[in-house]
Amino acid sequence: MSQHLKDDRSARIQSATHLMNQGKLVDTADAVSLLEHVIQPGDKVNIEGNNQKQADFLAKCLTQVNPEIVHSLHIVQSAIALDNHLDIFEKGIAKKIDFSFSGPQSERLARFVKEGKIELGNIHTYLELYARYFVDLTPRIAMVAAVQADIHGNLYTGFNTEDTPVIVEATRFKQGIVIAQVNEIVETLPRVDIPGDWVDFVIPSPNPFYVEPLFTRDPSLITDAHVLRAMIALKGIYAEYGIKRLNHGIGFDTATIELLLPTYGEELGLKGKICTHFVLNPHPTLIPAIESGWVESVYCFGGEVGMEEYVKARPDIFFLGPDGSLRSNRGFGQVAGHYSIDLFIGSSLQIDQYGNSSTATAGRIAGFGGGPNMGCDARGRRHVSEAWLKCGQEDGMLQGRCGTMPRGRRLVVQMLETFGEKWAPSFVEELDAWKLAEAAGFDIPPVMIYGDDLSHIITEEGIAYLHKCKSLKQRQEAIRAIAGYTALGMAAVESETAALRKEGIVKTPEDLGIDRTRANRSMLAAKNMRELVRYSDGLYKPPARFRNW
Amino acid sequence: MTGWNDMQTRSFYESNARERARYLLDAGSFRELAGPEAQLSSPHLPVLDEAISFDDGVVAGLGKINGRPVFILSQEGRFIGGSVGEVGGAKMVGVFELALKMHEKAQVKYPNDESRWPAIVISFETGGVRLHEANAGLLAHAEVMELIQACRGKIPVLSLVGSKLGCFGGMGFVSVATDLTIVSELGRIGLTGPEVIEEVLGKREFDSADRGLIYRTTGGKHRYLMGSAAYLVEDSIAAFRDKVAAVLAEPYAKIAAKRAIGTPTLVEEQLELTALAAQLKPKDAYDIWAHFGNEKIAKSIPDLSTKEFLQQVKIRKGGGVS
Repeated sequence: MSQHLKDDRSARIQSATHLMNQGKLVDTADAVSLLEHVIQPGDKVNIEGNNQKQADFLAKCLTQVNPEIVHSLHIVQSAIALDNHLDIFEKGIAKKIDFSFSGPQSERLARFVKEGKIELGNIHTYLELYARYFVDLTPRIAMVAAVQADIHGNLYTGFNTEDTPVIVEATRFKQGIVIAQVNEIVETLPRVDIPGDWVDFVIPSPNPFYVEPLFTRDPSLITDAHVLRAMIALKGIYAEYGIKRLNHGIGFDTATIELLLPTYGEELGLKGKICTHFVLNPHPTLIPAIESGWVESVYCFGGEVGMEEYVKARPDIFFLGPDGSLRSNRGFGQVAGHYSIDLFIGSSLQIDQYGNSSTATAGRIAGFGGGPNMGCDARGRRHVSEAWLKCGQEDGMLQGRCGTMPRGRRLVVQMLETFGEKWAPSFVEELDAWKLAEAAGFDIPPVMIYGDDLSHIITEEGIAYLHKCKSLKQRQEAIRAIAGYTALGMAAVESETAALRKEGIVKTPEDLGIDRTRANRSMLAAKNMRELVRYSDGLYKPPARFRNW
Repeated sequence: MTGWNDMQTRSFYESNARERARYLLDAGSFRELAGPEAQLSSPHLPVLDEAISFDDGVVAGLGKINGRPVFILSQEGRFIGGSVGEVGGAKMVGVFELALKMHEKAQVKYPNDESRWPAIVISFETGGVRLHEANAGLLAHAEVMELIQACRGKIPVLSLVGSKLGCFGGMGFVSVATDLTIVSELGRIGLTGPEVIEEVLGKREFDSADRGLIYRTTGGKHRYLMGSAAYLVEDSIAAFRDKVAAVLAEPYAKIAAKRAIGTPTLVEEQLELTALAAQLKPKDAYDIWAHFGNEKIAKSIPDLSTKEFLQQVKIRKGGGVS
């Protein structure tokens, strides 16, 4: 019986035992040396990090190893977020990457790919990448981040648990090695998030791991145009379908919807009928709705800086551990987002004439993150809800695919202004993703949400109920009808748009009975950060850059 | 249309230039001068392929506050950062000239009744000169400055600062040259904006991403504590209006006594403050607040409500505040 992996693991750990002082502790100063002892050329290596939390100290240490000892690594990790994540490719320490999201490093990554400095495997959604950890991208080495550890290697990851469980489980249970950077060593942990026997080495980090407050939106930056779109969304979609279980993407549009629940939502009599169950990070802009009794449950992918105390004080709403603090989990969050919600709503950079959308531009490889896991119809879903069934029954092309068999459908909604930043049109004939695919040598253009998954588009012109369309041609007409003054929108034919409005495939604010003159900031339940703090009873503590006092 | 009474409780910070102009004045008394229908817009912006506004970002008008005639100027931050260009600047100048003319007539007609003499109220929301038309904009700054001097001894000129963009650049100078300034804690007054300070002096000197620091350095509470703003009020149109009304009910001499600059005594005070800064080497506004007798509350000042702050704060002696 072969036990090569197990023997290899023992040998590597043996080679580093001289660096362990107390239990599994390794001195901060010995971190680089540890990596040189346990990592071997060609290893699949995971550095924990996503769009929020980062094992930044270990990422930095990996750039400092001797490339003659450690080289040609195959990096398998959620996010390329830090300079260090790409520096290792410049130094030859790493060679290939499989990842999910690269927001802040997207331009440099595109350049590295073009210059041949990096061998690009695949770009995944979070859930796909986690899935592959258990199939063909299992890490040999995982470097994770925790808040606290004891000398036995037990970890407390707490509020920002996020990706840690899935990475550690995939690595350690396939005879891999787990190294944790921790903010502090304590005698007793508030709770154990990762059992000590799954962790091989613990290194005190010189600084607490970095966390990005990615989901904080300052209400003072919300415009009247956001308010109009949010009113359209609430009346034309949330109320229309009775959306109770949902996810909100990052952005001011969905933040505005959250802030309209206690005001416009209340006025429409929707309390208890919509927005009761969220799969969502702890958005500060959700505080007024929670405090007004709208929300029954929120499951979180990750934490959000400053929301720790508030979340702790709301055990009826959030998922808290026996110690009283939140444990987020991106793996479960993505699964919940894929199968248990009836609506996903987000924004995009570009939508093409068929309804495909992408955040890619020619010079940037941004990746997907978790969006597509929720921004799609979950084809494996079998349980029924009112919203899901109604949307499926309205599907104009269902009969052409399934005959008379009834089937539901998730609402996948894109919400955006017809012109984006610097007056770039949001509606285009062809996505820039095609140019990127050509420049970077991809097999197919990176599409965030495919047109056939998209059910609704909201712009300041109104809503296109795309799923109701009976043909691709009709979908294209419906998209043009709400594309405003973009070149695509200017090509709309008046008679076609009138017919679509008659059929209820396109609805303007007037069709929905929305008074545009009421669409202004006075509708917001909180107009600035300080009002959010007041709503939270002082429990929400916004980071310095969001405090205007 | 929202009613006058409803608008009184509205946030001053949230209100646009026309709303501020209209609702600071007595109900139904606002008459706009050279309003959007006159379509007086910048001749320079179209040349640069930039959008124009039919009021060029300045609302000028006339009305009453508790019956007293008041000329009002209100800047719109949402149009090119409230910047002062040729047309907007000319509207400001025109209002001052009209006010001076009206004053001449009023003092002859009602020699013993100051309450029938006009006043000027400026609601600032600006980053200063409009760079697209900088010469004309700077000229307007100079003309307004000169007219403020021409108003001395005749017309009370009041500055209100409590809007989103605050009052910066050349207009920071203009506001401090008026008889007095009324701020809310959200109002910021300064010369150079935070981003520019950071760019020139470095992040260690001034971190423009630290918004708490920006408010501690330029915000309403600091300006009031230091005496450069005479009054601090809550963030509502009614609070600003009530304070303006109370000030305008005072005799002119008492209003002018609140000036923050423009006398030899005040110049000496400024020099003393400069010397103090060199000696104290403050790391943050907290140190200065503590120095002027607020040791116990310095750290909690940002978190205090306006009401609590006004009850607890010790303001700097001297300055425009007697």
